[in-house]
Amino acid sequence: MPGFTLPSATLLAQSVLSGIFVGALYGLMGLGLSLSWGLLRIINLAHFAFAFLAAYVCYQLATQGVDPLLTLLGIVPAFFVLGVLLQWLMARFRMTTFNSLLLTFGLMGIVEAIIQTIWTADFRKLESAYANQKFKLGALFVPVPELITLVLAVSLALSIWAVLRYTDLGRALRAAAEDSAVAAAFGVDQRRNGLLLAGTCAALVSIAGVCIALTATLAPSQMYAWIGVVFAAVMLGGLGSAIGPLVAGLLIGVSEAVTMAVTAPSWAPIVSFTLLIVVLILRPGKAA
Amino acid sequence: MNRATVAILAVAAAMALLPLLGLPAFYDALLYLMLHWIVLATSWNILSGTTGYFSFGHGAFFGAGLYTTSTLLARFEWPFLWTLPVAAGVAALLGTALGAVVFRVRSVRGELFALLTLAITFVVGTIVGNTPIDGGNGVSLTSVPVPHLGPTQSSTFYLLALAAATLTLVVARAIFFSRFGAGLLAIHDDEDAAEVMGVPTYRYKLVALAISCALAGVAGGIHALFLSYVTVGEVFTITVPLTVVLMSVLGGTRHWAGPAVGAVAITGLLYSFTAADHAVAGKAAIGAILIAAILFMPDGILPRVQRAWRGVAHRGVKKTASVAPAVAAPAPPSSTVPAAGDVVLRVSGLHKRFKGVRALAGVAVDVRRGEILGLLGPNGSGKSTFINVVSGHYAASAGEIVFEGRGLVGTPAHRIAAGGIARTYQIPRPFAHMTVLDNVALAAMFGGGIATPRVARTAAQEWLDFTGLAAKADALPDELNLHQRKFLELARALASRPRLVLLDEVLCGLTPSEIDSAVALIRRIRDQGATIVFVEHVMRAVMALTDRVVVFHHGELLAEGRAADVMQRPEVMTAYLGRAHA
Amino acid sequence: MLDVQGLEVWYGAAPALRGVSLTLRAGELLAVVGPNGAGKTTLINALCGIERARAGRIVVDGVDVTRLPSHRFCAAGIAIVPEGRRLFIAMTVRENLELGSHLPRARPERAASLAAALELFPALGEKLASPAGELSGGQQQMVAIARALMARPQLLLLDEPSLGLSPLIVADMFDAVRRINAQGVSVLLVEQNVEVALSLSDRAYVLEEGRIVAEGEPDELLARPEIQRAYLGV
Repeated sequence: MPGFTLPSATLLAQSVLSGIFVGALYGLMGLGLSLSWGLLRIINLAHFAFAFLAAYVCYQLATQGVDPLLTLLGIVPAFFVLGVLLQWLMARFRMTTFNSLLLTFGLMGIVEAIIQTIWTADFRKLESAYANQKFKLGALFVPVPELITLVLAVSLALSIWAVLRYTDLGRALRAAAEDSAVAAAFGVDQRRNGLLLAGTCAALVSIAGVCIALTATLAPSQMYAWIGVVFAAVMLGGLGSAIGPLVAGLLIGVSEAVTMAVTAPSWAPIVSFTLLIVVLILRPGKAA
Repeated sequence: MNRATVAILAVAAAMALLPLLGLPAFYDALLYLMLHWIVLATSWNILSGTTGYFSFGHGAFFGAGLYTTSTLLARFEWPFLWTLPVAAGVAALLGTALGAVVFRVRSVRGELFALLTLAITFVVGTIVGNTPIDGGNGVSLTSVPVPHLGPTQSSTFYLLALAAATLTLVVARAIFFSRFGAGLLAIHDDEDAAEVMGVPTYRYKLVALAISCALAGVAGGIHALFLSYVTVGEVFTITVPLTVVLMSVLGGTRHWAGPAVGAVAITGLLYSFTAADHAVAGKAAIGAILIAAILFMPDGILPRVQRAWRGVAHRGVKKTASVAPAVAAPAPPSSTVPAAGDVVLRVSGLHKRFKGVRALAGVAVDVRRGEILGLLGPNGSGKSTFINVVSGHYAASAGEIVFEGRGLVGTPAHRIAAGGIARTYQIPRPFAHMTVLDNVALAAMFGGGIATPRVARTAAQEWLDFTGLAAKADALPDELNLHQRKFLELARALASRPRLVLLDEVLCGLTPSEIDSAVALIRRIRDQGATIVFVEHVMRAVMALTDRVVVFHHGELLAEGRAADVMQRPEVMTAYLGRAHA
Repeated sequence: MLDVQGLEVWYGAAPALRGVSLTLRAGELLAVVGPNGAGKTTLINALCGIERARAGRIVVDGVDVTRLPSHRFCAAGIAIVPEGRRLFIAMTVRENLELGSHLPRARPERAASLAAALELFPALGEKLASPAGELSGGQQQMVAIARALMARPQLLLLDEPSLGLSPLIVADMFDAVRRINAQGVSVLLVEQNVEVALSLSDRAYVLEEGRIVAEGEPDELLARPEIQRAYLGV
């Protein structure tokens, strides 16, 4: 069994902080996935591939001297279009939820192959002006790229939440997810809304991808590592929710970080997956 | 033994001689991989393709077998071949423990089951990687002696994989053509209806999972020594389950050999890409194939090929209008008091609540042997709920139901079905992927207690003759019109040889002449000795058929007696038409 | 204002409506009665776009809407109160009502429509923030009607509104329907409860097994043998 070592208060606090940062990224990754699963009944595994594609494009542009955050100006619209195209395909073939899972898995394989062809399987790290910047908060170190991620994650989650809660579009999306026939009878154009939402989800995940490029080392195979933990965040947070995945992500991130500090890094995955299993068995109705 | 199994064994025997040809090790390795994936994909299909419970956890069971063998070899120095049964056992145990919990949770189906099994994979992997089983560094088996089954080391693995693949295919075929397999396929189409028809769904799913895991465990055990150095990262990932899903979906999940076809195709394809140094393109090609398969061939290759072979003309294209035999007009209702047969079903104080809504509020009624009892009442008055509770589809909130002296409350639906009660659904719920004949045969096997599919099919044919559906035996349910589908429901109900038949609005939506033939049929069913309780709105039929009726109103019984009398009573007319008619 | 000609709707291989024709004049309160399984809900669903017609025409105020996609029917001036209410139970009452006025032309008048709805159903005032799923059957029915009114329709379709409700609540509800009709909204009411339906309506049709078998003024219809036979079999 692993040894349990109780770290110092500072170390623990630093772990919690890094857990918050990582958890925010989980939440941002999970945002689009949760929306498309809950509101469109599509489980989009290609989500993860899109994130990494965006990350690599950002990396590429950064090596050519473009500020990573500026790359968003080009990346976000491009991925919005990509999301719309994918949704158009799914709607045209009347994809069931389960088949969407399989189909997007296939897409993930294709995108991974494209990434590997262009950028090879070697590890890549984005070198940017932000990369090594950090400032001190008391005894703790706050790295700037991670802070940017946190700010983006929280602001995007809150914005989407506000749209869903307070706007006509948000209401229409929620109503259509509950009872699509009656929603249509009141004039809700689900096809158009679906395309809009799918594009938004893809745009959101491309932002997550840029954050990954800023904070992590890139390799094509890495995209699979996120699947489990992001799904855990999505299901814990509740499908179709904007804030849920963020809160769940933070919870998972902090739990993982503390587990790692107290035992060993390799035990971290057990936290999210066990939580996922427990949620599925005890409260599956929440996720369905 | 049947032809297919003989063929499998013959091919296997022939292939066993291959190492004698002295081919380069490359071919042994390639064939080993193909056979290895045949085992994994076919074993996966035994649970997931049949029942539709797509597991993404096959990697966990494969890995459990793999690490069982590696531990026994490295730590305890067991002889290799003896580790294989243990590997199978450990994997099966893991699967059964998982299934015992998960299959009890009703709503964990479909994509939720897939995610849960995927999560299990990572949990098991993490545990294995962090404990002395693996410890994060992998387990080296290079010093373990490989048994001498073939002329070379690589041929030994080839022969082991051949044996495993042969076993797996024989088992898969046997399952698909057995009563057990028919039950599994029914679960796929409509688990609740299958349960109500007598299939012990929980037990069957567990057994299928256990077999599937055991076979995966064997493949894992063999693979451990093949690799000679095992790591957690290679095994407990999303790759194994998704590859297995792809192979089965591509080849066809509803055929026992489908996954094998997919396995050979995909392995061959991947190898040709790798050989040409285009491994990455190979991955893309796999992805593209999966997408194409989902979009254009959701049933897989094999069924397509089978259909092309048999030709489309074979299948129910001749849309015969009505298939009921010519029958005389309904006989006049009996004018005597219903035969004083003994009470076959006694219901007392029956309550059923759904989240605050009282669907049944204390219903008490006796049903006598051989009578035809009509359940009437306005929409929402509780008639269908009554049938659902008696047949076990819903559990009663309170009250007693005694059938032939045995209490029914608390009995699972499949036991009620096997115990002499059968029901039809208001909106027919046939098993969409099974032919009309197989639909009825299923009822004969599980409600009617027939042991083999062949005998069940013969019995089913008789029931199809009885209900006039003989010409449609090989058609799929969606090729039937509403009238035929209702009669299919009837045939299924009858095939379980019930003593009490519960009919839920059988005549709704039929034309007058179709109603006449249905009425005649129901009368013949009673003449054969069954007791019939039916919910109906078509008054002509109620008048013509029933010995007695009871009228439901807001979950209680309002009136009881002969139809003609009851319908004239003021309180009944009020319930239907309003106060103006009182 | 509503003209239906030869409407045919099929469920799979079986016809649910066979050649149904009816007309509704502006401001009328029309009832369609018939026993269970006659096709009443199918008719309503076809009129608001939830079901597609296989043959026939539906003309609203001179506009042929038959081939329109379902989300365009509302813009033609039709709003539905579905059988079993079918509220969006995860959303609050206020949100349900706001969704009712989703149409671009209904949105600007949302505040006014909401005020009018609360005048009609004062009891809803204190329930606006509650999730729709927590309301009683009668309250949900009120919300369903109000939701439809928020779309500012010219024609209101009511599908078996009395189902599962106690007589007292049914009386109140139909009072409201009468007042809505008096304000100029045409109403097509589908009901199994013959007495109430006929007492409210100006004219009625009788639907049996997917076909219209009778038509006329309520009093004269009640006396006709068709109704007696359709419902009671005698």
